[in-house]
Amino acid sequence: MRERMKALWSGAALAALLAVAGSGFAATQLVGAEAPDFVLKSLSGKNLRLSEYRGEVVMLSFWATWCGDCRAQLEELGTMRDRYQDAGIELLAVSLDQTAHQASETAQGAGYPVLHDAGGEVGRLYDVTKMPVMVLIDRGGVVRDVFEGFRRGNEEQYLERVQALLRE
Amino acid sequence: MVVKWIASVSLAVLAAQAALVTAQEAAVQVAAAVPEFRADEGAEQRTEFRTLDEETQDLKKQVLDLNRDLFLLEEELLFPSNTQTAVFISMDVGEFFGLDSVELKIDDKDVANYLYTEREAEALLKGGVQRLFIGNLKAGEHELVAVFTGQGPHTRDYRRAASVIFEKGIGPKYIELTISDRETKQQPEFVVKEWE
Repeated sequence: MRERMKALWSGAALAALLAVAGSGFAATQLVGAEAPDFVLKSLSGKNLRLSEYRGEVVMLSFWATWCGDCRAQLEELGTMRDRYQDAGIELLAVSLDQTAHQASETAQGAGYPVLHDAGGEVGRLYDVTKMPVMVLIDRGGVVRDVFEGFRRGNEEQYLERVQALLRE
Repeated sequence: MVVKWIASVSLAVLAAQAALVTAQEAAVQVAAAVPEFRADEGAEQRTEFRTLDEETQDLKKQVLDLNRDLFLLEEELLFPSNTQTAVFISMDVGEFFGLDSVELKIDDKDVANYLYTEREAEALLKGGVQRLFIGNLKAGEHELVAVFTGQGPHTRDYRRAASVIFEKGIGPKYIELTISDRETKQQPEFVVKEWE
């Protein structure tokens, strides 16, 4: 119960922070620009750098355990990643939770890399002002689409864009 | 009369034959001329493409040269040699240590923090040298502390610090942090070397 309350409070604090940050910039401004590079520790213990995925289409998803839409989005993205992995696609799920433990509970058994952005630096780098945010990066490392929020049915749109990028 | 008619018909036939031959010859000529014209055009296009390609390559080379010059100029301006200090990191063997991250402090101030991916650690093991930090320091005594984290012997989490007090003179200063294996102790060793 105490753990749950703590998670809720941390979620509320992060939501407030995102709302304040949201008054200025948004991740969508990155479309057409080179994706800012970063390195983060994954829940498996490995350090992963975005630029090492050049040559693959990357779905970069920012999420948190307290965000229900994020979990639904991750589920869809995970399915898409499993389906197109051989064609050269990767899903990097960046958790903005306060602790890696919170993220690992939710992302248990995920086949894709789950990264923990402990200080929220990468979130700031991508101007994440809403949750969830999915940044679609092409094989050349350029941001091609940014999807903010998630509703059932959005996966059709994702699929269309992903297929187009894979064909390039 | 009949002879006249036969003669005129044969003349007409001959004329027709001659016209046919002329037409055939003309057709052959046209047929020969068309591919000749196409071949010429193709050759011209190829030459044009080659020229364009050469020009593009020249331009690319010029851009690369310009980029290199600008990079050097930027370095010279940002880090003049009298204050320039650079810290490099290298690895030798690495059997007893798997590098995860390095935190670098100069005069108790964080100047670099680097997380290594598998590929980067492998590159260091293969003999690569990474410039971890470049900055400006005034002449005099300075203290450098490097904290290394990773996996030590028997895949245990390992955290070690290496420090050095160095004298910065009027020329640029280069410091190399080397991670090597100490076979006798079955432990990694962290060595700090100074280069003038």
